[in-house]
Amino acid sequence: MEHPILFISIILEKLGLPIPHGPIGNGILEKLCEPYMTYTWFVMIFLVVVGKLTLSNVEMIPGKGQNFWEMAIGGMHDFFLANMGEELTDRYFSMIATFALYIAVGNLIGLIPGFMSPTSSINTTLGLTLIVWVTHHLIGLRRHGLGYIKHFMGPIPVMIPVMLPIELISNIARLLSLSIRLFGNIMAKETLLFILFTLAGAYFAPLPIMMLGVLVSLVQAMVFVLLTVVYFQGAYEHAH
Amino acid sequence: MAKLSTEMISALGNYGHIGFTVVIAVFIGLGGGIYLDKYYFEGATSPWFTFIGLAFGIAAGYKSLFDVLRSQMEKPEDEDTEG
Repeated sequence: MEHPILFISIILEKLGLPIPHGPIGNGILEKLCEPYMTYTWFVMIFLVVVGKLTLSNVEMIPGKGQNFWEMAIGGMHDFFLANMGEELTDRYFSMIATFALYIAVGNLIGLIPGFMSPTSSINTTLGLTLIVWVTHHLIGLRRHGLGYIKHFMGPIPVMIPVMLPIELISNIARLLSLSIRLFGNIMAKETLLFILFTLAGAYFAPLPIMMLGVLVSLVQAMVFVLLTVVYFQGAYEHAH
Repeated sequence: MAKLSTEMISALGNYGHIGFTVVIAVFIGLGGGIYLDKYYFEGATSPWFTFIGLAFGIAAGYKSLFDVLRSQMEKPEDEDTEG
């Protein structure tokens, strides 16, 4: 579901770039100009510019901007350290923290009229989830070698033919549940806002949903990060 | 405040995805069974692999439930009891 007015799409259309009117564009340029792609770029540019502006001169006594970042990054670092240990935190902190910031900003940006959440497209969330899913298998393989397969065989050797398909199914279910939950929540928020806006926008009908939208956006970003941490930790530790 | 919100987040993360994971596990098992029946054995074994796949899917759903339970029960213990 799209907002009626997406200002980046309008600007690009004025510049003569092809904007797809259906859900999927035809050419490669049209695919690159889809709203979720352009707003992904927008969120990336936003994060880089804000980071550059607030952290260009790091001081001993932090100002407002630096204080915020120290709190956010420090909080995340403590959380990862408590949940997945020092080695994993050192190696994967930048990746998961980037996901957290990107998802949080991407979710929240959809609340502003004229913007849409890039995470309300299944392509974005499935992309993020695939990265996490492949990485947690790589962590397991790197740590345990071929013994990583013990994670999928259950505790009792006799039960292997039964446990192996069960474990494989529940592992693939992680991939789908992680991506579809984020996508579903954010798309529901966007759709609800759009419908309420067209029905009774003049009477501030979307306001309560916007308030809930802030909560949903932040909680979904946190849940994504928490599950990423749990999966990484699960692949890293020994099989039960 | 920080402690409270961390607990709330981990509770949301652990319990908020249970329903979804169970449903998706069942559907993956069922879909795999239907695929085996219809396209791999081309209907010769129908409907057996559908049922077997459904059983495995339901079992996988319950297994992910137990995983959540186990991870919650292990948490209060010391870190060095693992393995």
